[in-house]
Order: sequence, then C-alpha cells, then structure tokens
Amino acid sequence: MPDDMENKPKNYLNSYLAGFLLGLVLLAAYVITGRGLGASGTMKSVVIASVVTAAPEYAAKSPFYADFFTSGENPLLSWLVFLSLGVIIGGLVSGAAGQRMGLKMERGPRIKPATRAVFAIIGGALFGLGAQFGRGCTSGAALSGMAVLSSGGILTMMAIFATGYMVAWFFRKLWI
Amino acid sequence: MAPFIPEGLVNPQLNLFFALILGIGFGYVLESAGFSSSRKLAGVFYGYDFVVLRVFFTAGITAMIGMLFLSYLGFIDMSLVYINPLYLWSALVGGAIMGVGFILGGYCPGTSIVAAVIGKIDAMLFILGALIGIFFFGHFYDTFEPIYSGKFLGNLLAYDSLGISRNLFAFIFTLVALLAFVFTQIIEDRVNKVEPDIKKQRPSYVLPALLLFLLAAIYLFLPGERHSSPGELSSRQLLAEMQNPERFLSPQEVSFRIMTRDKSMILIDVREPEDFQQYSLPGALNIPLNSLFERTWRNFLKENQAQLVFYGFGNSAAELAWSAAKRAGTKNIYILDGGLNNLFEYVFNTPIKDERSLNCEENFYQRFVLEARDYFKEGNAIEKAPERPQPVIQTVEIVGGAGGC
Repeated sequence: MPDDMENKPKNYLNSYLAGFLLGLVLLAAYVITGRGLGASGTMKSVVIASVVTAAPEYAAKSPFYADFFTSGENPLLSWLVFLSLGVIIGGLVSGAAGQRMGLKMERGPRIKPATRAVFAIIGGALFGLGAQFGRGCTSGAALSGMAVLSSGGILTMMAIFATGYMVAWFFRKLWI
Repeated sequence: MAPFIPEGLVNPQLNLFFALILGIGFGYVLESAGFSSSRKLAGVFYGYDFVVLRVFFTAGITAMIGMLFLSYLGFIDMSLVYINPLYLWSALVGGAIMGVGFILGGYCPGTSIVAAVIGKIDAMLFILGALIGIFFFGHFYDTFEPIYSGKFLGNLLAYDSLGISRNLFAFIFTLVALLAFVFTQIIEDRVNKVEPDIKKQRPSYVLPALLLFLLAAIYLFLPGERHSSPGELSSRQLLAEMQNPERFLSPQEVSFRIMTRDKSMILIDVREPEDFQQYSLPGALNIPLNSLFERTWRNFLKENQAQLVFYGFGNSAAELAWSAAKRAGTKNIYILDGGLNNLFEYVFNTPIKDERSLNCEENFYQRFVLEARDYFKEGNAIEKAPERPQPVIQTVEIVGGAGGC
C-alpha cells in the first residue's frame, strides 16, 4: 500500500472477527425487531425533516414527502434515526479506543484535498440517489438483504459491486 | 417466538431503545473494522485492501446462517421479518448508481457516519452529498417514479428465484464467500508486494469463518422435514389424525351444546363473511378459510383451550380448515359433521312421530329435536345469544418488521 503510514494507530479488528460480530448484531436486529440494519434511511429522514420545516409548501406538492403528511409522525423519531444515533455513539467509542480521532481529509496519494472534497460530495450525492432507487444502501439493501436471502437485496449488492469494478479503472487516480 | 417486538413479546415502545443499542454495536464494529477510512474501503476495488469484502460477507453469512437455523428450529417467524421487495429496474439502477458513488466518494452511508464522527472531513462532505442526492431524488420523484416502481416482482427470496433449495443456496453462497476470501487474500498480497505470511493470520481469527462453513455444511445435510413452528405435525401424523372418525361431531351433539351454552366449545364458521352475515350459528366466530393463518387467528388457534368446531355449508371447507389447522399443530379441533346443511336437516327435517309409538329414549330424542327446532327457528340462527359473549380474542394488529435503509 502506498504511503499511508502517517497515522500509526491502526489496530483494526481482524476483518473476519469484525464480520462475525457485525453478523451477530445484524442477527440480533432481526431477532429482536424483525428488521435489518440501515443507514441511508436516516439521511432520508433528515432531508424530509429539513424540507418540511424549511419549505412546507414545496414539500406538500411533492409525492416524495407525502408519507410525512399522511402519517404525521416526526421523521426524526424513526427507528433508523435511533439506529444511526447508536452508530454515532459506537463509532465514537471505537474511534476513541483505537486512538483514531482527529480531523483529517482522507485522500489518495495523487490528489489534492479540494479534488477529494468535490468527489466526496459527488459520490455522496450518487449514493444518496442510488439508495433511494435501491430501497436501501449497502447496509439496508445489500447486507440485510443477504441475511434474509432476499433476491432484491442480493441483486442490488451485485449491481453495486459490479458497477464499482467496471468504473474503478477510470477513477483509479483518486485512490492509487 | 422471535422477532420479539412484532410478536408482542417485547413492548414495542422499546423499539427505539433497541435501535439505539443495535446501532451502538453496528457503529462500534464498523469503526473497529476500519470502515471509517475511505482508502481502506476503496481498496476493495483496487486490490490493495479487501477488508470490505471480508467483513461484509462474513457478517452477511453469519446473519444468514443464524437466521436459517433459527427458522429451522421454529424460533423465528420469517413471515414477520422484513424481506426487501424486488423492483427489478429500481434495484439494478440504484445498485449501479451506488457503485459509481462508492468509487467516487469512497464511503457508503453507514461507513460515512462512523468516519465523520471520528473527524474525517471527506466523510462529512460525503454525507452532505448524500443529503443533496436524496433531495434530488425527491425533487424529480415524478420523473423517476416509473423506474422506482417498475417491474415489481414481490418480496422474492434468492433460492426461489434460482429454483434451488434453501439449504443448497446457503451452502453455495458460503462456499463462494470462503473461496473469495482466499483468492482476494492472494490478490491483496500480490498488489501490496508482501510475502504471504501464514503466522500473520492468527488461527483464532480464522475460526469464525471455519465455523460458518461447518454450520453451512451441517445445514445442507439437515433432514428435510423442516418445521416452520414448534408442534407442527408431519404428513404421516396428519394422515393418521385424518383417519380418526372422532374428529367429527354430530349435529345432535353440537346443537345440544349450543342450546346448553356450553362454554367449552367454540364454533368457527369457515365460510365467507357474506354468508356468515346472512345467518350463522349462535356465538360462532367467522374465520374464512383463507384467513385461517392470518396472525390474529393463528395466535388464537395456538393458545386455544376450548374445543374448536369448524363448520361450513357442508364438510369440505371445514375439513380443509381442520387439516390445515391440525398440520399447524392446533389441538382440540373438530368438524361439525355435514356442516350447517346437515345440522338444519337434523333439526328441521327429522320426522316427528307420535309420542306414544316411541320408547322412552326415542321420546327423549324427539323432544330434544322439537326443542332445537324452536331454538333454531328460521331467522333466529343469526342472533347471537346475548348471554354467550364472543370469546375475547386479543386481536392486536401485528405488523411485521418494517425495513428499508
């Protein structure tokens, strides 16, 4: 791996052990609540909550926000939002324990921070958009879908990775 | 038993509390595995770091095998578990867009959250981008709608789509993942120009993976008679039960017990609601044949203490209901022999003879018939006897796990 040795404290958990533990968390989610894990749902809730607060007239006209108006529930009091609050806490605890805290723009060795920033936003936007179509992201559709052997989840997962490998070569400068 | 909250075993108000706890576990593992680093994540596409593949597939298979065993043992009711629906175009288009987003952004939504909280600026920007992307989708929802809702194929399961057994699918899936682990390790070592180091791979870490493989193999060879709930009958036992004539109750007995307001018997009308509305037996519950396994009734059947007597117009619908309920392990169930037609035939069309020509016992029966005729006189049957309230059945609306990401 190229020169990414500047911050020493790695001490990452072994991948298989981490995967095994993550699998147990996912299994617990199904056993306790009957649903899998997810992350992009929270972002959707944030968007809905912001838009209906900032521009209620705009939101009222769009079918995308219709659920909010029919259910009348606060989108920020949803299951996935609480899950993400937990993710924040868990991430903080693990980051602190592994001494990995600190402001940093992580990027490939050949690009400038500004380039990385632009691509992070574009990538995020694509992921946000794609997660709406996919009815879930890598966690909600792909990982959870795999656990329950759902065709939809597994197909979305294959589409993510297949496309990723197809375009990886064109964007290799971003990372290697 | 499981899932606990949809089954009502755990107070649904604790749902958000559990979300928080599960989230802590989720976030902790993601961060500890190195998913807070975009360069590590992107490594899976360039061959220098396959951590994503290893964690992702180990987790998926752990949960998958866990679910399979729990459902095999009848511990989890898969009908209450959220299965991602398949909208073919949307799944493919969404996956493809996310794939490009992964390469450009270096994160996915979950990993971007753990990365952002430990201070990764690129992750914070990624989240900002994701919010923009979702807003974009919402803004052009009308344009995207045909793709979003197009080609709905149902909540399909992968092994059904492929036409193979669940066991075989799980085994192949696990095998492919383990092979992928081995090959990606070789690729990773080549790309990073390191010598393969056996000692570096501590055996204690490989154990979970091997354990999964073993479990998948065991699952493959488990005897085929899968039970979806404890207490379910095998086909052989069912056949024996079906040949037992004691499952039929005569119209005589049933009408007697109706008239004496026998509380140890609950009548179940398996006809359609329209027929039930027209007339039915006093105190009967209407569970149309096709609703028998709806959640409310399923729990009612499972926990039932009284004798349940199924009836339809004749025997056929009641027999179907009986067989299905029996197969599901319901105890104490019977069929009104000949159904309503036979009961009314008995009550109204039993020829009445001169009392003097009958002996004591015959006389007794005849009086009963006359009494029954009075009781069931036309039009009266639908009236539910007020003293005999409908059994209190907890019909808590049970909602399966919702999902989505």
